[in-house]
Amino acid sequence: MAEPDPVTVAEGSAAVIALMLGVAWVLGFRQRAKLDDDEVARLASAEGAHVEVSAIDAKGRGAVAKLTGGKLLIAKVMADGVSTRVLPEGQARVRLQKHKLSITFGDLGYPSLNIRIDNPPAWLAELGARP
Amino acid sequence: MIAPEPTPPFHIPPIVTYAVPFFVLTIIIEMIWIRVTKKGRYQVEDSFSSLAMGFGNQIVGTAFGVAFIAAFYYWVYQHRLFTLQWTWPVAVACFFLEDMAYYWFHRIAHERRFFWASHIVHHSSQHYNLTTALRQTWTGAIGFNFIFWLPMMYVGFPPAMVAMFSSISLVYQYWVHTELIGRLGPLEWVMNTPSHHRVHHAVNAKYLDANYAGVLIIWDRLFGTYVREDDKEKPRYGIVSQLGTFNPFRIAVHEWAGIFRDVRSARNVREVWGYIFGAPGWSPDGSRKTSALIKAAWAEQQAAAVPAE
Repeated sequence: MAEPDPVTVAEGSAAVIALMLGVAWVLGFRQRAKLDDDEVARLASAEGAHVEVSAIDAKGRGAVAKLTGGKLLIAKVMADGVSTRVLPEGQARVRLQKHKLSITFGDLGYPSLNIRIDNPPAWLAELGARP
Repeated sequence: MIAPEPTPPFHIPPIVTYAVPFFVLTIIIEMIWIRVTKKGRYQVEDSFSSLAMGFGNQIVGTAFGVAFIAAFYYWVYQHRLFTLQWTWPVAVACFFLEDMAYYWFHRIAHERRFFWASHIVHHSSQHYNLTTALRQTWTGAIGFNFIFWLPMMYVGFPPAMVAMFSSISLVYQYWVHTELIGRLGPLEWVMNTPSHHRVHHAVNAKYLDANYAGVLIIWDRLFGTYVREDDKEKPRYGIVSQLGTFNPFRIAVHEWAGIFRDVRSARNVREVWGYIFGAPGWSPDGSRKTSALIKAAWAEQQAAAVPAE
C-alpha cells in the first residue's frame, strides 16, 4: 500500500479539525466563566492571601486585585475556566486609559490582561502612574 | 563491517496516521456523550488549541522531526553491540523496553525543565478529554526527547521495530484521556488506564508527578511513582501556573521563552544550570514552587490535620 501524501494528510487533518470544532460549536460547548467579587476572593484565598481592593472587568472577563502582602492578583477568564498570576506590584506594567486597563508582564504563556473598568478606582490610577 | 538493519518481515504502516479516523470518530462520540450526560467537559477554544497543537506536531514531525531523529537513531545503530533480528522474542523484549524507555523519558520530562519545556504543552489544557491526547509538542525533536530510546539502538534493536512500538504506544495512550471511563478492574494492575492517567494530568498536590506510564503501569509501581485515583479527590487538570492563552504558538514555546528569560537573569553558572536542568519551578532563592515543595507543604498540612493519638 502506498504511503499517504503529506500534503493530502495535512489538508485532510485541517478539514477534520474544522469538522470537530464545528460539532463542538453546534453542541454548545461555548460556556464562559464570569468573575465577580466572591470568585476573586476565592482565587486570592487559594493563593493564601486576602483581597484588599479589586477591580473587575465590566463583563466579568478579567480582574486585578491588591492582595495582603503587597502583591497583585491578575485573573483572566479562559473560556469556562480562569487563569491567574500573583506577582509583586513592581513586576507588572499597568496602563490605564480612561476605562481601558492593560496589565503586562514578561510571561509568554500569559499575554496582557486587557479589560474595561467602568469606574476605575484611585489605587488603579496610582498603579498606572508608576514608571 | 557491520551488518545492515534486518528488514521487517511485513510492511509497517504509518500507524498514527491510520488511527486518525478512529480519533475523529471517538472524539465526536465523546462530545455527544458529554452533551447528553453532562459528565465531563469540552470547550471550543480549548479543543481548538489541542487540535492545532496535534496538527502542528504532525507538520513539524513530517518536515523536520522524523528525519532528525532517524539520523540519530541510525548513527547510534551503526555502533550497536548486537544485530537483533525481527523475531518474536526480540519483539516482546522490544515492547517492554520501549515502554520502560517511555516511562523514563516521561518521568524526566516532568522532573527536568529542559525536557518539561516541550512536554508542558501536553499538560497545558484545563480540560481532560480525547482532544487533550492530541495536544502534542512542536519542539520534541529539538528538545532531544528521543535520546531516551538511543540505548535500545545501541543494544541492537532494529530502529524500525522501536519506532513501531513507539507508534503503538502513542495510539494506545490516546484513549486514556477521558473522564467517561471509570476503573477497569484487574486491568488497573498492569495497564495504564483512564483512571491512572487522570491522576497524571491533575494538579492537585496529592497527584503531582505520578503515573508516568505509557502502556504498562507496572513501571510506576516498580519505581515508586504510582498514585491511585482517590474517589474523594476529583482531579483538577492543567499545570500549576495555568496558561492565559489559547494561541498555539504561545503554547508551543512559552516555557522555552521562560527558560531564556531566566537564564538571561542568572548571576552564575549554578543558576544557569538550575534554570535549565533543575526541576520545573526551581529558583535560586526558592521563591517559586516546585512540585516537590508543593507536595511537601500538602503532606505537612495532612499530617497536621490528623489528630494526635
